[in-house]
Amino acid sequence: MNPKEEKVKIITEEFIENDEDANVGKRKKNSKVQRQPRKKQPPTTGPDKMMLEESHLGNQQELVQDEPQTRLLSVTARRGPRSLPPIPSASRTGFAEFSMRERMREKLQAARSKAESALLQEIPTPRPQRLRSPTVKELETEFGTESGKEVGSTQQEDDTQSYARVKFHVSARKIKSKPQVPPGFPSAEEAYNFFTFTFDPEPEEAEEKPKHGDGTHQEEEEGEEEPPTEEGANRMDEEELLHGKDAEDFLLGLDHTADEFLAVRPAHYESVHVRLQREKEMLFIPSRLTVPTYKKLPENVQPRFLEDEGLYIGERPEVARTNQNIMENRLLTQESGRRWFGDDGRILALPNPIKPFPSRPPVFMQEQSIKAELETLYKKAVKYVHRSQHMIGSGDPAGNFQLDIDISGLIFTHHPCFSREHVLAAKLAQLYDQYLARHQRNKAKFLTDKLQALRNAVQTGLNPEKPHQSLDTIQKTINEYKSEIRQTRKLRDAEQERDRTLLKTIIKVWKEMKSLREFQRFTNTPLKLVLRKEKVDQKTDEEAYEAEIQAEISELLEEHTEEYEQKMEEYRTSYQQWKAWKKAQRAKKKKKKQATEEHPEEETEEPYPEEDPVKPSPPEPTDRAAVEQQVRERAAQSRRRPGEPTLLPELSLAGSVTPNDQCPRAEVWRREDVKRRSVYLKVLFNNKEVSRTVSRQLGTDFRVHFGQIFNLQIFNWPESLTLQVYETVGHSSPTLLAEVFLPIPETTIVTGRAPIEEVEFSSNQHVTLDHEGVGSGVPFSFEADGSNQLILMTSGKVSHSVAWAIGENGIPLIPPLSQQNIGFRSALKRADAISSIGTSGVTDMKKLAKWAAESKLDPNDPNNAPLMQLISVATSGESYVPDFFRLEQLQQEFNFVSDEELNRSKRFRLLHLRSQQVPEFRNYKQIPVYDREIMEKVFQDYEKRLRDRNVIETKDHIDTHRAVVAKYLQQVRESVINRFLIAKQHFLLADLVVEEEVPNISILGLNLFKLAEQKRPLRPRRKGRKKVTAQNLSDGDIRLLVNIIRAYDLPVRKPTASKFQQPSRSSRTFREKHAASPDTRSPTHSADYPLGQVLVRPFVEVSFQRTICHTTTAEGPNPSWNEELELPFRAPNGDYSTASLQSVKDVVFINIFDEVLYDVLEDDRERGNGIHTRIERHWLGCVKIPFSTIYFQARIDGTFKIDIPPVLLGYSKEQNMIIERDFDSVRSLSEGSYITLFITIEPQLVPGESVREKFDSQEDEKLLQATEKFQAECALKFPKRQCLATVIDISGKTVFITRYLKPLNPPQELLNIYPNNPQATAELVARYVSLIPFLPDTVSFAGLCDLWSTSDQFLDLLAGDEEEHAVLLCNYFLFLGKKAWLVMGNAIPEGPTAYVLTWEKSHYLIWNPCSGNFYGQFDTFCPLKNVGCLIGPDNIWFNIQQYDSPLRINFDVTKHKLWKSFFSRSLPYPGLSSVQPEELIYQNTDKAAAAELQDRIEKILKEKIMDWRPRHLTRWNRYCTSTLRHFLPLLESSQGEDIEDDHRAELLKQLGDYRFSGFPLHMPYSEVKPLIDAVYSTGVHNIDVPNVEFALAVYIHPYPKNVLSVWIYVASLIRNR
Amino acid sequence: MAAAGPSVFLLMVNGQVESAQFPEFDNLYCKYCFVYGQDWAPTAGLEEGISQITSKSRDACQALVWNFPIDITFKSTNPFGWPQIVLSVYGPDVFGNDVVRGYGAVHVPFSPGRHKRTIPMFVPESTSKLQKFTSWFMGRRPEYTDPKVVAQGEGREGLVRPPALPGVHCFLR
Repeated sequence: MNPKEEKVKIITEEFIENDEDANVGKRKKNSKVQRQPRKKQPPTTGPDKMMLEESHLGNQQELVQDEPQTRLLSVTARRGPRSLPPIPSASRTGFAEFSMRERMREKLQAARSKAESALLQEIPTPRPQRLRSPTVKELETEFGTESGKEVGSTQQEDDTQSYARVKFHVSARKIKSKPQVPPGFPSAEEAYNFFTFTFDPEPEEAEEKPKHGDGTHQEEEEGEEEPPTEEGANRMDEEELLHGKDAEDFLLGLDHTADEFLAVRPAHYESVHVRLQREKEMLFIPSRLTVPTYKKLPENVQPRFLEDEGLYIGERPEVARTNQNIMENRLLTQESGRRWFGDDGRILALPNPIKPFPSRPPVFMQEQSIKAELETLYKKAVKYVHRSQHMIGSGDPAGNFQLDIDISGLIFTHHPCFSREHVLAAKLAQLYDQYLARHQRNKAKFLTDKLQALRNAVQTGLNPEKPHQSLDTIQKTINEYKSEIRQTRKLRDAEQERDRTLLKTIIKVWKEMKSLREFQRFTNTPLKLVLRKEKVDQKTDEEAYEAEIQAEISELLEEHTEEYEQKMEEYRTSYQQWKAWKKAQRAKKKKKKQATEEHPEEETEEPYPEEDPVKPSPPEPTDRAAVEQQVRERAAQSRRRPGEPTLLPELSLAGSVTPNDQCPRAEVWRREDVKRRSVYLKVLFNNKEVSRTVSRQLGTDFRVHFGQIFNLQIFNWPESLTLQVYETVGHSSPTLLAEVFLPIPETTIVTGRAPIEEVEFSSNQHVTLDHEGVGSGVPFSFEADGSNQLILMTSGKVSHSVAWAIGENGIPLIPPLSQQNIGFRSALKRADAISSIGTSGVTDMKKLAKWAAESKLDPNDPNNAPLMQLISVATSGESYVPDFFRLEQLQQEFNFVSDEELNRSKRFRLLHLRSQQVPEFRNYKQIPVYDREIMEKVFQDYEKRLRDRNVIETKDHIDTHRAVVAKYLQQVRESVINRFLIAKQHFLLADLVVEEEVPNISILGLNLFKLAEQKRPLRPRRKGRKKVTAQNLSDGDIRLLVNIIRAYDLPVRKPTASKFQQPSRSSRTFREKHAASPDTRSPTHSADYPLGQVLVRPFVEVSFQRTICHTTTAEGPNPSWNEELELPFRAPNGDYSTASLQSVKDVVFINIFDEVLYDVLEDDRERGNGIHTRIERHWLGCVKIPFSTIYFQARIDGTFKIDIPPVLLGYSKEQNMIIERDFDSVRSLSEGSYITLFITIEPQLVPGESVREKFDSQEDEKLLQATEKFQAECALKFPKRQCLATVIDISGKTVFITRYLKPLNPPQELLNIYPNNPQATAELVARYVSLIPFLPDTVSFAGLCDLWSTSDQFLDLLAGDEEEHAVLLCNYFLFLGKKAWLVMGNAIPEGPTAYVLTWEKSHYLIWNPCSGNFYGQFDTFCPLKNVGCLIGPDNIWFNIQQYDSPLRINFDVTKHKLWKSFFSRSLPYPGLSSVQPEELIYQNTDKAAAAELQDRIEKILKEKIMDWRPRHLTRWNRYCTSTLRHFLPLLESSQGEDIEDDHRAELLKQLGDYRFSGFPLHMPYSEVKPLIDAVYSTGVHNIDVPNVEFALAVYIHPYPKNVLSVWIYVASLIRNR
Repeated sequence: MAAAGPSVFLLMVNGQVESAQFPEFDNLYCKYCFVYGQDWAPTAGLEEGISQITSKSRDACQALVWNFPIDITFKSTNPFGWPQIVLSVYGPDVFGNDVVRGYGAVHVPFSPGRHKRTIPMFVPESTSKLQKFTSWFMGRRPEYTDPKVVAQGEGREGLVRPPALPGVHCFLR
């Protein structure tokens, strides 16, 4: 049964529903109709027939309705007969083909009409019944016929109007139709029913049976036809569902009692036999038998075996035969299964992808003991083989290849020492050689024979003896022969002529020679020519001659006729054209043509009658006589005359040479000269001399015999093989006569088989001799009158043979392949070409191609591809050879996505960049899984940076020079960082494994002593804090602890009303400063301050990473806070790795403020009731400590000088004698204020270790060793003292440190200021150096390594750290004639640093190069705390004194007990050249640019201040600003000293009614950001007094080389009321 | 392992360090930790652990049984850097110093299910005989700066992997 019928049913059912009451009969008909085709019985009733039509119609309709409907018929049929409650209409709604229904209705109307009558009343309203079974479809096929029959039988009974029957059908139809409503899915109702009801079939059956007898029959059938268990089970479900439905209906409508729902049923059983049978019906088990090929192929197709046809078929993957059979059987039963089979009747398959060889190197077996693996094997040193393309593949068996060069001799065909006779003799010999060669080949004879043969062939061809051959072919071959004959004849004639002329020349030369001998009356050469005459039989000769001529004549005639014929043909065709044209013109001319038609053809051979020779311009008839004449002439010229004897020249050396005493003087000289000469050959292999022959004397016959064989053992493929001919005259040095290039032998040529070959050479040297010798390259003549000059060059022949040697076992020692096809070696091996044609054949491409053709190599087979390519390359002449080797040839097959796609992927890009360790992504964590989750802006910074790499941006860097420098620095930094990243991957054993050193005795003893120590001492000693490796840290774990202990000598307020004091600030001159005079200054001003008055209320504010903490307010100029502040630390990007921490650029600002209270009470009357004050804070000074310093030092502990602006309006520095008189003597020396701090990081972080990578160096190895030794010795004695001997320069090379020190000129401008005051100049220079911005190396080069740049680099970069500053300063001082050293030591807060030490007549001065300050040796506040070593321009001295504080050490480096010098008597100073330039060149800074910069900075700062005060109005006092602006240049010129009070006076004068607080800041200029930060840190903007006004002035003083000194004057003004 | 959320997948590891075979030593304890790549982050559970000290069983096999549980959940976006469990076993030497007896690492299994892994353990060797003696004498055997190096590829050039000691059995689910 097909689903189409179902359709029909459904549709018909729709009718029924639509006109419900009237159509019972119709319904019945319908059901009949549907079953009709299934029945396969002749229809018994009329309606059935009609319905047949309908069913067809249904089929058509089904085409429209595309979803096949499947129903279980038998089941429904059985279950049907019951009284059913009405249908809920909802179940029908989904079915909505109304138009179709309409048509159906019309068609069915007729068929229904008959059966409509009686059934009407009895039909109960249809009830909804559902089925849900996807398995029904299969069942249909099984049960369709059965149920059909059954139903059919019931139908027959229907005619008898059985009430029950009707019911049954109706219900059956209902059931069938229902499930279609939502196809494939149970509705909610169904589901509900399914799960909620269980019904027994019992009552139903009870009902069913009595109703009609078919029931039993049906039951029986069902029993037999039970589908396999599974199906059965499904069906059971369905049944139950139906019951459920029924039962529900009963429940609702018919009030069944409860017991009716209970069913007791025996367990369903079916016998194994039955089941198996069913299974057989249901399941398809493909046979394991081999399928015959014809089944697998389309009809009448022979299987094709491509392999046999010569096409390449890859190796199939292995599949078991049975599996294959099963598969084939299955495919055959499947629809369109045949397309799975190939032409050969086998299942299509791709070639086996499995490589036959492993791509991985073999792994060592576990069984092998470690010892065996680690055992060292001795291997003989292998000769280094050139890494060139000519190298023979390393995979070759290590064999030496051998080339045997046999040099047998040398013959000069011309030599300067040749006499004229020699020249002739050489010529003669040459000619004779030629003759011999020709004679040997005897081409003329060969060609004559050939000619004869051809003629015979033509003769035989013309005879019609071969009837089977068509006339055409004969004619064709004859024509071919004829043309061949023509060719051969011509060749023969030429050959014969040449022979003859040669013979003639020989005779002529011989004659000349004879005459010469006669003329000069002596003989030089033993040459003798004998002509032998061979008599010939005159008659036969003549006959042959004549015959030959005759034959030739006839042939020529033939040729001519042919030519003639051809011409005629041409003529005819042209005439035809002409005729056609003529015809068109006028037809009359025809007759004329006719008249001339019978023109007789002269040629008898011409078989074709001439038809239309109208205007014959007949080609000239060949004149036999003329032809004959021609032939005879030629024969006479080139051929031996008949009867003439054959002349055979024979050259012999039988002649005698005239002895010396009979010769003239010149000749004797010549002969002696010849004797003095000797010749040898050099053998050059690949342009390298490998050997040379012995030197042999030149014989009188100018022949040299060597007879030497050279065996060249070679590695490389011979590129060239050259012999050089050297000639030595007497004892002079040999001269190169000529080079002879020998061909490299074919690989087939092996020793023993190589013929001796002669290679000619010639030289272009010009030699003139004063004896008989003719010289070389100069003209000479045989004639007496000197005419007919000849110029001969030295030339000659080397006879040699080159061949490949044969090894012991008979294998030729030949490099396997020529250089060109080295790449194909392995491939060739695989193809086994070598074994089939032998080694030598491989290089012979033709042979190879032939072999390939013979062995029928499959060109499609990938195995043969390289070979095929090789052959095609060789044959086509193209020389494309891939010069690469692909490691993974199959890589492409495994690429799941194209490269572009891969690159487009954001995620991949992110991963890629991270693995490249691009800074932006280095620590990117958790790269999202999907592209869509990656924000585009992740890349923005990176891309921007890439873009900007070459674009100089002037936004951040206001002047362009700085921008350039910044870029350069960035690039240097990047390259250095990359180096370090690589270096960091190299771990030493010590990095990974903690291992105790081998203890020496003292340590051992100490440890032994320790053993006796108590394990838990009662008073434990303080142990160092545990260091934390920065791995598992996260934000907030690290805190910065700042302990602010106390401050000294803070500036104190000055009462504004007070009159101007004498300068109280320490405005000492230089002399005063270094004069170590501890005289107490008189407390002159103490009287001004009444006791107990608060001079200043300072507090400290620490800001770090924008976090701000401050202490409580203390009182007085020497406050003591003793407070600990805790600041959180955040690493950039949350990355706490060492590298990242090192590059933290943040700075800890420690600002000291004065807290000022102002009474703001407006109304005096309220004064009694309340206090209303405003707190203002005035910035006093600051200390800046970079985080990197803290990080590397772990803790910073000490007293720091507070950076106080040179002018602090409203404050003065007072010696507070009242409070702390006792300490005054100590402090009076200092002019600054100080603060005692202790800073550390909690928990302690492990500072990064320096990179140990050994950098390459250009230093002497000895020096480097000495350096290491020196450093090791120093470190042993004083491990904590810094000892530096080598440093790394900016290109990453190790350089000896003293090379950096060399007198260098400071800018002339600075020298001119104080020409007579060296001390002032020194200060100025120091200031200049300090104005160069400071940039720590650790920040720029996060790899912890100190890079030293030379002074010119430093000045170009305008950034550097202490070393660079110190080096530059030291160099300046050296230039100024001071004794200056570099001091390496520790200072606070910098840590390890470099200072400069100078000797000033009587005392030492220590200069801080970064600040420009200097200190006496005994200055307690000198930041330099200990001294490690001193470095001068020519030596290094290490401090081996007990103490290292500059206060306590002696700086006299000449004392060897105190200073260990690097260069000493044992290792004298070698005089190292400096790395510094000869001279520094200073460009003047562009003043205009500086002015512009000044304006811009001022603008930026003003904007920033306004930004920082978002809630307040910021007013600018222009008047004050301009005043300040005038004042700043003064500050610069005085370097911030001495002017405070004048300035204050002036300001007060001008701004008398303002309360004024402000200060100038002075900084070197590097970027804008530090300036902004500095201004921000002063907190000027924090004043929120309503009527505050601000003033800000910027001044930039340019120094040479773009060194800029920036002054910023910030002030706040409050108008006094 | 289950996909959770749109952008990460989770890897749940639970199992135990079951037992060890150290024929020469007794009274050992073990530490475990995980080494994983940049794209991985533990979301739950303990990343490191230290077990109890156990003594050899009395039976013939003389196993050191810890049955020390491991339970950790990772989340990740990238299989690269798949977690490895690093085990290090310590025990007292003759003088009572705790010395390391073995290091070992193994990847967390890639497929879900019950897996049993036997990890060969090894310790770095002293560089010389003398050092071997002194380290034995002073109870300071050579050990890795960080046990995690056994799971890393960097800087292994200089290290020779000593012969494998009998391993630790570790169940991971």
